[in-house]
Order: sequence, then structure tokens, then C-alpha cells
Amino acid sequence: MTQLADQRPIAAAQEAAVDPAVNSSSTTTSAAELEQLRRARPRGPHRRSPLAQVGVRLALALVAVVALAPVAFLVSLSVRSTDDVLTGSWLPGGFGELAWGNWSAAFRTIPLAHMLANSWLVALGSALVTAVVAVPGAYVTARAGKRGARLSAALLAGYCAPPVVAVLPLFFLLKEVGLTNSVVGLALVNGLANAPVAVWLLDSFVRRVPVELEEAAWLDGLSVAGGLRRIVLPLIAPGLVAALLVCTFLAYGEFLFAVSFAQTTASQPLTVGLSLFQGDRTVQFGQQAAAALVGVVPVYVLAVVAQRWLVGGLSQGALK
Amino acid sequence: MSTTTPAVRHVPRWLSLPPLVAIVVLLVYPTVFVVAASFTRTTLARPLQEWTGFANLTSALQTEAFAGSLVRTLVFAVSAAVLATAIGTAVALLLRARTGRGEGGFGVLGTLLLLPLVTPPVMVGVAWKLLLAPAGGALTSTFSSLVGSPVNPLGSSSTALGTLVLIHVWQWTPLVVLLVFAALLGVPDELLEAASLDGAGALHTFTAVTWPVVAPTVLSVLFLELVVGFKVFDLVAVVTSGGPGLSTVVASFEVFRTGLRGDYDVGTAAAMTLVLGLLVGAVTAGVSALRTRAAGADA
Repeated sequence: MTQLADQRPIAAAQEAAVDPAVNSSSTTTSAAELEQLRRARPRGPHRRSPLAQVGVRLALALVAVVALAPVAFLVSLSVRSTDDVLTGSWLPGGFGELAWGNWSAAFRTIPLAHMLANSWLVALGSALVTAVVAVPGAYVTARAGKRGARLSAALLAGYCAPPVVAVLPLFFLLKEVGLTNSVVGLALVNGLANAPVAVWLLDSFVRRVPVELEEAAWLDGLSVAGGLRRIVLPLIAPGLVAALLVCTFLAYGEFLFAVSFAQTTASQPLTVGLSLFQGDRTVQFGQQAAAALVGVVPVYVLAVVAQRWLVGGLSQGALK
Repeated sequence: MSTTTPAVRHVPRWLSLPPLVAIVVLLVYPTVFVVAASFTRTTLARPLQEWTGFANLTSALQTEAFAGSLVRTLVFAVSAAVLATAIGTAVALLLRARTGRGEGGFGVLGTLLLLPLVTPPVMVGVAWKLLLAPAGGALTSTFSSLVGSPVNPLGSSSTALGTLVLIHVWQWTPLVVLLVFAALLGVPDELLEAASLDGAGALHTFTAVTWPVVAPTVLSVLFLELVVGFKVFDLVAVVTSGGPGLSTVVASFEVFRTGLRGDYDVGTAAAMTLVLGLLVGAVTAGVSALRTRAAGADA
């Protein structure tokens, strides 16, 4: 192949790479669009040898096993006695000896139910705060030209800084306003901390709303903010759902702020409770696994149910 | 009717207010506070008492664990970012190779791959700590019986940090897969077919057709993974608490245990934070500039 022939497809490929984003002025999730693109494309003659196909499948199966093994082991541990665990096997040793008691014991060893409630209050409260910050934020970054670009850069800087940088200053700030040891305090801090992520994901959704729609609304007498609320907001709803889901997961799993600002059991979320399990002298494998699963399972259910939105929001928001 | 066209209507400034509050609370105020606390005597009860010059910085730099923790943070972030990006890109290519045949899809496997990503890092730490427990850990048992002698990767100061890197990579590789896979769908099949008709091998097809399309995404993801790696704290706190010895004390953990545990030496912790912030700022700004230049060279 000559050098020239080599370069033409590259240019075409680059154009095509931009294409899906340009074509899709609708606000359906890009996962659906990508799926359509994939299906619409004629099945090409990528002839791969059967051996290569088997190789690809084996490799992917291995990936799936690696992705699942740790959580599968938690499930196995959660129904085993310590003696059974110490055999070091992956699966429970004997039938009829399953130690279901681990699950109820986990709720007694730490105030699991209370901590779980705290985690969800922090997660949902912070998502609300994030939404209030990120919707106008993304509108500014997408529509306000240079001012938007500056805001975008400042938010990126805020996201890049390790959270530990803010821990000591925020500790004193929260103490000053009486929000240490408080679910409200954690929700506020997490909500603000996750705002850059949400703005970053939402920005491209706002950009894809045709300006003409807003212009028509302005002619009808709506203000810019009114247009944002009445025209833009409904159109970026799928992106907002995805961004808020991501931020909910981030706040739900947050640990550094929680362990620094919540010293009382009453205000601690589950992540802190699980880390306290570690401090015990004897490792309660089964209980610890059960407690971790109590925290993980709702997230998994939510992630699987909302997979379309998540994948769409992440891939569309991140690929600009 | 006003003579200005609607298109030039300005975005009102007050819309910037909520995000500006976030920036002030999370970036501006902490920076000012950390600088101030670095040069004053500060206790948990009373911050910013009196000017002490460079005493806190000296104390931070003389702390045995601190310099090492900066190096560990850098090693952790860079190696985790490179590994996650490389493995994730490879898995995305495998997924694409399968979906290209028109069977299955991102579907079930994609869902499975999302799970590590949405697992809270503390739970990730708990799961892997149990898997790798010297007694009762299924993974250590399996490896021990394969090797024929006891294996305890978290118990040795030469392997503990590397093990944490791998656990972090387990969690964050799916993000790479997701984003690179989406970018791969932008590579037109016609070009791949043309390349294969022209007799280009898999490697040549990748470098000539696929890579130019996905390279910007891969670089962005690498940057994102680097940023995420610099934030590491949870895994260390849950899995090793910095041990064995000081072998897994990363900078975040060192700041935490100096300022908010033990002696509650807030001044020294603030000075450490300042040094860490400068280091992370320099590295991310540098990489970000390189990325922008690479993007400029592409265009």
C-alpha cells in the first residue's frame, strides 16, 4: 500500500468518527444510537478463522470471570462458617451447613440498617445538590462561549485535585457551621464535589439541543433562564438521569469525607461501618461479606436496571 | 421589538453562581486555607493561631513516611492508569471483534463489566482483602496450591503496593472498555473491509485504520485514569492501612493519618497537602498540555 492510499481512509475514518454525534440531534441515549448504527451496518466480510473466534470468546469469558469473581466470592463467604472459610475453597464445603446466620449477625455487629439509610440519604441528597449546581453549570459551559470555557477549566481543576486537599479545610468549615457528624453536611459536600463530573457529562447533551429551539422560545418572550427550564431541561433529561446516577453512585461509595467528617455512629454511612469491621481482632469473614453485599446489591440492581442510561450517558458525555 | 437578534442573547451571569459556589468551596477556599495553615500553628480546636514560618513544611519533609508516600502516589497513579488503559483498550477491541460478527452485543457482558465500576471502593477493598487473606482467601489458596508454597501478596512489602494497583485496575478498567468501545463503533466497517481486501494484516489494519480514530479517546481516558489514580485513599485505608511497614502509605493516607488521626498534627498535614497539591497539579497540567498538543498535531 502506498503512503497516499494509506492516508485517505484515515481522514475518512476520522470524519466518520465524528459523525454519530453530529447526526443524532435527538436526545435518545447514544447507547441506543450506537446499537442502531451497529445493526444498520452491513455485515462485513471480516473473515476470522474459527480458531481466532474461539480465542476471542475465551478471552472475553476470562474477562467476565475476573470481573465477577470477587463479588461471587463474597456471596459464597456470606453463607459460610469461619471453619468452612478457612479451608480456602471458593465454594461452601458441605450441603446443609450453610451459615445464613451471618446475615442477621452482620446487622447486629454494626448498626447496618441505620448506616445503610445514612448512605442513601447522603447519596440522594447529594444528587439533588449536584443537579442544582450542574444544570445551570452545564448550560454556561456549553452556551456562554469564553466564559463557559473558563468555568469548564475551573471545574476540571476542581475535579483533578485529590479530595484529601479539601479534607482539612472542609473539616473546619463544617465545624464552624455545625455540620460535622451530619448526614446533611456529607450530602452538601458530596453534592458540590461531584458537580464537576455532572457538568462534564451534561455539557455535550446541552450542546446538542439546537439553539434554534431556544431562539424561538426567546421570541415568544421567554428569558434565557426560562428557555433553559422549559426547553433545554426536558431535552437533556436522559443525560441528567445518567449524570445523577453516576453522582449518586459516587456519593454512595464515598469514604474519605465520610470517615473524616462523621465520627459518630449515628451519622456514619455504610462505607465507614465496613471499614470499622476491619478493626476487629478476629476477622468475621462471613459477616463482613454479608455486610458488604447489603451495600453492594442495591447498587447493582440500580446499575443493571439503568444500564442503558448509564452506558449512553457515560459514552456520550465523555466522547466529545 | 428589540433590534438585537435572539442568537446573541447573553447567558445571564447568575447562572454561573451555583457552579462558582462549588469551585469556591472545594478549590479556592481549601487552597487558601491549606497555604495559611501550612505557615501557622493550627490545632483541631483552633486553626491558624500564629505565624510559624516554614516549621510545618520542615516537619512534613522530615516525616519519614512522607517523601516515600509522594513517590508511591506517583507510582500508583501512573502504573494503574497505563495498565487500566492498555487492558481496557484490549478488551474493547475483543468486544468489537465479537460484535462485528453481528452476534450478541455489548449487552450481557457489558452489564457484567459495569459492575466493578459501580462497586463502592470500600466494598472492592473488602472483597479483595478477603480473597487475598493469608488464611481462608480463595485466591491465595489457589495460587499457593499452584506454586506449592504459601502466597501472601498483601503481607509482603515488596508486593503489597503492586497488589493494590491491580485491585484498583480491576475496578477502573471497565470505564476504559466502555469509552473505547463506544469510540470503536465510530470506525467504519467499510474501511476495515477495504483494508482486509487490500491484504492488510490485523496489526496494520489497527495502526492505519482503527488507532487514528480511537487515539483521542484513549488519551482522554488515560488522563482520566491518572486523575482517578491520584485520588486513591479508600483501598489503602481498607485493605492494608498503609502496611506492611510503610510500603503502601500513599500521600492521601499520610495526610489523613497525620492530621485526623494519631497526634492530630493539622499544621504538618496541611504542609503535606500543599506539597501533594503542587505535585498533582504539576503532573496533571503537564499531561493535559501534552494531550492538547497531541490533539493539535492531529488536526
